[in-house]
Amino acid sequence: MKEKDENIENLFGNLKNGQPFRVPEGYFETFAERLQVRIEEEELPQKKRTLFFYLKPALSMAASIALVMLLVYVPIKKFFPSTQGYLTQQKSTIDSVDKVSVLPVPVDLFSYFSEGQFVSAVADMKVIESETLSPDSLGDYISANYTDFDIIANN
Amino acid sequence: MDSSEKELIANLKSPKHREKAFQLLVKTYQERLYWHVRKIVMNHDDADDILQNVYIKVWKNVDTFREDSTLFTWLFRIATNESLSFLQKQRRHPVLSMNEISDYLTDSLESDVYFDGDEIQKKLQLAIIKLPEKQRIVFNMKYFDEMKYEEMSEILKTSVGALKASFHFAVKKIEEYLDEDHK
Repeated sequence: MKEKDENIENLFGNLKNGQPFRVPEGYFETFAERLQVRIEEEELPQKKRTLFFYLKPALSMAASIALVMLLVYVPIKKFFPSTQGYLTQQKSTIDSVDKVSVLPVPVDLFSYFSEGQFVSAVADMKVIESETLSPDSLGDYISANYTDFDIIANN
Repeated sequence: MDSSEKELIANLKSPKHREKAFQLLVKTYQERLYWHVRKIVMNHDDADDILQNVYIKVWKNVDTFREDSTLFTWLFRIATNESLSFLQKQRRHPVLSMNEISDYLTDSLESDVYFDGDEIQKKLQLAIIKLPEKQRIVFNMKYFDEMKYEEMSEILKTSVGALKASFHFAVKKIEEYLDEDHK
């Protein structure tokens, strides 16, 4: 086997000496420089990515919460203004109307609500004020809904 | 492993001297590695890309180099693996792998503007392209790079006996290919 291999090597001997391949001029002289540029390019995005990589989960969570707030809380606030939360907030806004000028964000209710919504909200507030219970009406309510036994048992 | 190589490895692992040592490593082995890769993938542009990838891998992983082989062996092993991985990526269908790689290499050789060989040299290269992957690499390393079987054994992690057999079969197939061509 060895003899045969050596014969073949001798047969191709002249081919081995002549290099059929070549490289562009100055290829090996400039290779190290090009490699250095490539290494810097490879390392650069990694450095930039590091901070973002660690902040990404927190940012995603913050964005998700903001989106949920936007999709749930704002429509509820806008389309169901008569809910308790809305009234409480509106009442506190009216209570502090004299402080409006010092609020960081100007409160412009007319630009936020339609005229109809605003009027109905004001009308609802009046109803609540007129429904404050008098001692007589409280007595009527108890006598209509509780028996004497309930009243004695609770006392 | 001689003292200068030990010093080079120590410098490669030292953050202070790493850059300079790496430049020395590139200068020392770039030509031998390039021709090794070039004979596997044939085309200059592919060889250039692969050689850059080899050195980038070395740059990133030099701290993990265990020093149980020489730098030369380590670099050649990475270069061989990178070249073979590159050829595997050229496959479109795993069943047709060998023919497809052979076709890809033939096209690369035909279209390479940096191939200056005459007709006989081209026939030899085409005969080498027809060889199975392992035999092709063994033939190139033994015939062109004139490596010892022991060195090849370390790089390719194959026994010397298996390498000798691969070389023998490679030579036989090339001979047959060239004989057929002469008929």
